[in-house]
Amino acid sequence: MTHQFSYRRIYHFIRRDLTIRKSNISTALIVVSAILFIFFLINLREDYRISVGEFISVFGLFYIPLGVLLTFFICKESHDPKANHLYFVLPVSVYERMAAIWFTATILYTIVFSILSFLAGQFAILIGGVLFGTDFHLLPMLSGEYLGLVMFFCIIQPVFLVGALTFKKNRIGKTLLVFVMVFFGVIIYNLILFTMLNYRYDVHLGDTFASEAFGMAQNDFSLFGMLFFIGLFGPVMLFVAYCKMVEKEV
Amino acid sequence: MIKIENLRFRYPKSKTILNDVSLSFESGNIYGLFGRNGEGKSTLMKIITGLLFPKGGACEVFGENVSRKHIRCLQEVFFIPEDFELSALKISKYEEMNSVFYPEFSKDQFYELIKEFHLSPDENITTLSFGQKKKVLIAFGVATNTKLLMMDEPTNGLDIPSKSQFRKIIARIADQGKCIVIATHQVRDLHSLINHLVILDQSKVIFDESLFEVSEYLWFGKPIEKDKHAIIYGEPSLGGKAVLPKLDKDETEVDLELLFNAVLNESDRINQVLKKKYYDTSI
Repeated sequence: MTHQFSYRRIYHFIRRDLTIRKSNISTALIVVSAILFIFFLINLREDYRISVGEFISVFGLFYIPLGVLLTFFICKESHDPKANHLYFVLPVSVYERMAAIWFTATILYTIVFSILSFLAGQFAILIGGVLFGTDFHLLPMLSGEYLGLVMFFCIIQPVFLVGALTFKKNRIGKTLLVFVMVFFGVIIYNLILFTMLNYRYDVHLGDTFASEAFGMAQNDFSLFGMLFFIGLFGPVMLFVAYCKMVEKEV
Repeated sequence: MIKIENLRFRYPKSKTILNDVSLSFESGNIYGLFGRNGEGKSTLMKIITGLLFPKGGACEVFGENVSRKHIRCLQEVFFIPEDFELSALKISKYEEMNSVFYPEFSKDQFYELIKEFHLSPDENITTLSFGQKKKVLIAFGVATNTKLLMMDEPTNGLDIPSKSQFRKIIARIADQGKCIVIATHQVRDLHSLINHLVILDQSKVIFDESLFEVSEYLWFGKPIEKDKHAIIYGEPSLGGKAVLPKLDKDETEVDLELLFNAVLNESDRINQVLKKKYYDTSI
């Protein structure tokens, strides 16, 4: 019996995806590495060191946008009317497709981008030593901030995956628009809820009592909210992306 | 192999493309799927390959609902679409990247066909013309050795010698017990190749017969004066050729173009003549 999930097929599918897009991906990575190098060099001119904060600010500036672009780029074939026939008839199950796309756009991308950033930073430190007399030091890459940023990307990436599979045109713009609308929707919902529950007690936003209540609620529910965001949001979005892929027609 | 029952399909904001279509395709046959433009030939092929989902009815390939995209099913189906774009790779790299998904893929067969089509494995696909790309895809599709091979307008873009090569290749693999379905307007390109004809018209199947049965019951040619009253359909533009019930006349080669036009214009009469066989056998 042929199984619906095979690591071998996932490996072949990732290999196929990367081989087809090899030139575009490598060009993008080379350009970004060069920009990272310049940014790190500029940082070195100030205090002759690259601090954790400086590294994260430069790394984060490109890591998330490039990851989002990669997600959309990988899913492009599924929308191309001339290429999607051959893409979808390929004997790869939906589970395998999703696993391959997610693995490439998060894990593999994070590893490759981190290595490139490290190399660009370390090279900048070496060149900085020649140009400005910077002391040699190791780039402070592995930090809590770095892991937090990677985790944040892994959680929000499925949202863009859903957008990449749902929209046929202007996919990045539409996904961001939905994201912003949902964000504002939640704020407005909270304001309406606040007004409905408190208008009888004559409590208004901006009152000291109201801010205290918000503060208390934040303390009580921030842990719940964080757990929801980390443990549930990403997987739920991945499941939505899976459903979108199941429903996908040419 | 393929069982379609009461299939319905329509694109969003569009008229019904397929309405109550029931068909079955068996192995060892080459099916010609004919019809006017926009009658749903490509749509039917996309439904059979799981690229579109029916709005009603059922479509089973190897006993499985093809929309569910089971691996076992996908590994036995290959589809050559009419319009396509291949990845910008060398032919050999394209084969290497995609062949791994097909358990019965034959590299030897692929490279033999590439050679037969006068292509080189080291050529980059981006530098090829549309016709040459189609040859690469046909060679790949044949080499997958899937039990079901679907082709939408496969001869479009092929030059005259390549069309003849294509016919030879398909005739060769048809002997291996595969089921081949070819949708086309180029009726003459498939002459002597197909052995079963399906014609779609106005969202329905109006003709579904093997050419063996057709040649048993219909006669194609220039009728003599005494037979003119029996003409089912005639075309002055084809040199006065006409379709008649065969009766006691000698068997003739099926003229696909004439048959297609006859079915579109006189489907009831054609089907009536062909159905006569059932009365003959039942009495």
